Amino acid sequence: MAGKSSLERAGLAALNQRILPGFVAAGYDHIEPDILQPADIFLDRSGEDIRSRTYVFTDPAGHELCLRPDLTVPACRYHLSHAADPTAETRYCYAGKAFRFPPGGGDALHPSEFEQVGIELFGGEDAQISDAEVLHLTLQAMRAAGLETFRVTIGDLGLFHALLASLPMPERWRRRLERQFWRPRAFRNLIEELTGSRPRPRTSISPLIDRLVEEKASDINAFVAHELETEGLEPVAGRCIADIAERLAEKAADRRETPLGKKESRAIDDYLAIRGTPEDAAATLSALAGEVGGDFAQAVEVYRRRNLLLAEAGVATKDLEFSSVFGRSLEYYTGFVFQIEVEADHGSVVPVAGGGRYDSMLSDIGAPQPIPAVGCAIHTERLLAALTEASA
Amino acid sequence: MTARLVVAIPSKGRLMQHAEALFARAGFAIQRSGADRGYRGTIAGEAGIDVAFLSAAEIAQALADGSADLGITGEDLLRETMADADQRAPVLLRLGFGPADVVVAVPMAWLDVASMADLDDVSETWYARHGRRLRVATKFTGLTRRFFAARGVTGYRIVESLGATEGAPAAGTAEVIVDITTTGSTLKANRLKILDDGVILKSEAVLAVRTGLATHPKVKRLGERLEQVL
Repeated sequence: MAGKSSLERAGLAALNQRILPGFVAAGYDHIEPDILQPADIFLDRSGEDIRSRTYVFTDPAGHELCLRPDLTVPACRYHLSHAADPTAETRYCYAGKAFRFPPGGGDALHPSEFEQVGIELFGGEDAQISDAEVLHLTLQAMRAAGLETFRVTIGDLGLFHALLASLPMPERWRRRLERQFWRPRAFRNLIEELTGSRPRPRTSISPLIDRLVEEKASDINAFVAHELETEGLEPVAGRCIADIAERLAEKAADRRETPLGKKESRAIDDYLAIRGTPEDAAATLSALAGEVGGDFAQAVEVYRRRNLLLAEAGVATKDLEFSSVFGRSLEYYTGFVFQIEVEADHGSVVPVAGGGRYDSMLSDIGAPQPIPAVGCAIHTERLLAALTEASA
Repeated sequence: MTARLVVAIPSKGRLMQHAEALFARAGFAIQRSGADRGYRGTIAGEAGIDVAFLSAAEIAQALADGSADLGITGEDLLRETMADADQRAPVLLRLGFGPADVVVAVPMAWLDVASMADLDDVSETWYARHGRRLRVATKFTGLTRRFFAARGVTGYRIVESLGATEGAPAAGTAEVIVDITTTGSTLKANRLKILDDGVILKSEAVLAVRTGLATHPKVKRLGERLEQVL
């Protein structure tokens, strides 16, 4: 369909008019971030992979630009360029088009250009209060739109982070587990490798590590320097001897390390299996916190407090579903995450809105210090389709 | 079907020599003809088949846009040009010449890097250390993106290279390369090593046919006769 008819356009405009006033009334400033964005920010932050989903092109002056794939990063850029004090608590809402290349050619659910309405709350002093506010307003928007039946899934990436921090293991293992959290299969393999139930794969550099272990080299920098000299190599391409030595030392240390314990790997498994109403999950989380303690116990308290604040804001928390693995596929979130889904008539589940906390984004794109951020985006065309289907 | 078939054949280099020898062995005498002599031709005794002489890269493109129906080109170029080559222009015959591996290579001095997982690890901290992404020099941008994505490596940027890719790390324009190699000697000379699991594609010359045409009687006959003399 090459464009919208007057009826379709009016339908979407009317839907926006049911949603946006609620945001504005709650103090969210209605802004219009740029459609054209410098590609660098997206490429440097998300890496090359984003090209497979984003319209990236070169302008006549040779600069790489892109059509915004969402409005979150553009809203962040707006904030950093407009706010007198970017760290001060600020609320924005927006409505506009986003553009994504649909892998596999696109369909009604994945159009290459679509409308988003959303909010972002920057610099909120109390993270759980901000989290609760954003989910509450999103749910309020769903009802204002006329959506009655929907599912809400919530998650909290801070819990997993805290769990790893509380389990005894070398810091480098935590780093690796955190990284692989987004990739369930690689994560499973890594757990098996760390617990010793899967042999560590031999690679072309294993002989070198064998020697490093056998020789019990205490000065690994010297070992690397000597090795390079023997091979007639010079450190090139942005990595110095210390960088290379550091990773080799970690690999050598892994050989000597006591494997990850059964208790620890079971705690991770137990955590990843948690699903249920926020209250039921809280009980399971607290039981786990009783065993694990430390940062994790604190993170569970944060989780419980957020649930209370949600309830205070009028959210029926018993209707929410907590999932410990939810948010796994959304790499930029750092804490609370949520998604609102509707069931389409053919049984498939369609996400109509989603959001969460992304505390590292603003500093990543140029803010001089970390600024807490939480927001949501509503896919209004999907929402409209769901409303039309519900009334049919 | 009355439309004429267009067979695209490499117009230069070793690929051309091998392709013409193959056609000759199969008893197809290629005749260059027409107003654009040198660019178009026919096969003696084969009515309804036109021959187009193009560069290997142009042949992959011609198969993609439909201006050629079948053609001989490198599998690397075919898959680079079309992410869905198996659907749009599947390989009918592997021809056994023009071998070339498309590989991921890093500096030999990176003693701590053996695998894509190591590369992923290095790339993750690159941004924090250098304020920019790890750079990968290549002319195979599509193959690189798909291979890296399938292995979960995302923290890098491609620097498009139009020649002498293997020199990029020494020149400081990229840290990693994706390039073709046959013997590995050019990589060695440039002090680069292939990652253990860094072979993206073991490529060779192929006869590819636009989808749906493999059962065309003329295509079938051509394919069968070429296969007999491989």
